[in-house]
Amino acid sequence: MAKASLTLVVTVLFLCTSASAHHGNSAYDETARVPLKGTVTEFVWTNPHSQIYLDVKDKNGNVVNWGIETNSPGILTRAGWTRRSLKAGHEVTIILCPAKNGAPVAYIGSGDPGTKVVFTDGRELDFKDKTASR
Amino acid sequence: MRNLLAQAVLVLAGVLLPWVIAPAAQARTTAQNNAAALPFDAHDLSGVWQLAPGGGGQGPGDNFPPLTPWGQAKYDANKPGYGPKAAPGGNDPILKCDPTGFPRILFVIWPFEIIHVSGRILMFFEGQHTIREIWMDGRQLPADPDPRWYGYSVGKWQGDTLVVETIGFNDKTWLGAQGQPHSDEMRTIERYRRVDHNTIEFNLTIDDPKTYTKVWYAEPRLIKLKPGVEIPESFCVASEEEEFAKRIREPAARQTGKE
Repeated sequence: MAKASLTLVVTVLFLCTSASAHHGNSAYDETARVPLKGTVTEFVWTNPHSQIYLDVKDKNGNVVNWGIETNSPGILTRAGWTRRSLKAGHEVTIILCPAKNGAPVAYIGSGDPGTKVVFTDGRELDFKDKTASR
Repeated sequence: MRNLLAQAVLVLAGVLLPWVIAPAAQARTTAQNNAAALPFDAHDLSGVWQLAPGGGGQGPGDNFPPLTPWGQAKYDANKPGYGPKAAPGGNDPILKCDPTGFPRILFVIWPFEIIHVSGRILMFFEGQHTIREIWMDGRQLPADPDPRWYGYSVGKWQGDTLVVETIGFNDKTWLGAQGQPHSDEMRTIERYRRVDHNTIEFNLTIDDPKTYTKVWYAEPRLIKLKPGVEIPESFCVASEEEEFAKRIREPAARQTGKE
């Protein structure tokens, strides 16, 4: 079912060499960037892994609840997010790295450029650190 | 006449535009350079800092010296999620919120604050909301310290370089996310030299004859200032981590034969 929901989307391949989560991300396909459209059901603002849960309709009209791992509140705060950035009911498209095993789980975060959340009005939440010095 | 006027406006704009845009761009570049060029005291490392991306990734690197048989057995038992041995799942101790330990804490993707207090320098890490203390009062390293996650550290200034020596580790932590092992005989030497307002040069030496057949000189790294950043509360809470594992980590790592 989860796999079916991926058949509608386009996978963009590009190299990604930077570090992702603090313990590694080998369960996810970090060469892929897959857009997934759905409705936020929950935004968990928890250290060290914040989480977004998203109801996604597959091609048969069945709703699958996806779990999307992302960065810690510290990293998200420095990228301009707050704990109120996402709320249940928000319609969003998330550009993500899906799990290699086809389960409805995925990763977005600072180590994987191009992953982000896009709202229907075009606003975006990304992971660029707004506090870095040169 | 109107065409002539329009042409004149275009020509004028073409001449003036670079004068308007160039100074704005220059001002931005100058501001960045000025930040690095601000005055600083080489013996004052106060502030919030973070390791800049570089060789070695989230650890002292994969180019470690040959392992002893004891070290090899320990390395073989470690199943990291990052580096050449990366695989889904694994047994990285921090997945259960075990203390990250030293020196790994320096290499995680979060900042830390350096705080000078009388007789000590404190490092306050965002990772697991951890304080590490470095004694600066001239004391010697203890002869037989109890094993600790962060060891026992003494520091001194050699010219403009802060040199920190640490012993007294337990052997439960990894040196980096790639699963590099160490023993309780490990001795580390860190060198920090502030080279401009925004930058510290960092060198790390790992001497652990029980694990490695030679001294390991880790890839030199830069540490960059993060102006205006506060260290947020960032405990790793085992009950929250278990919930996360149930909902996301374990489904992502489950073997299905598809991968």
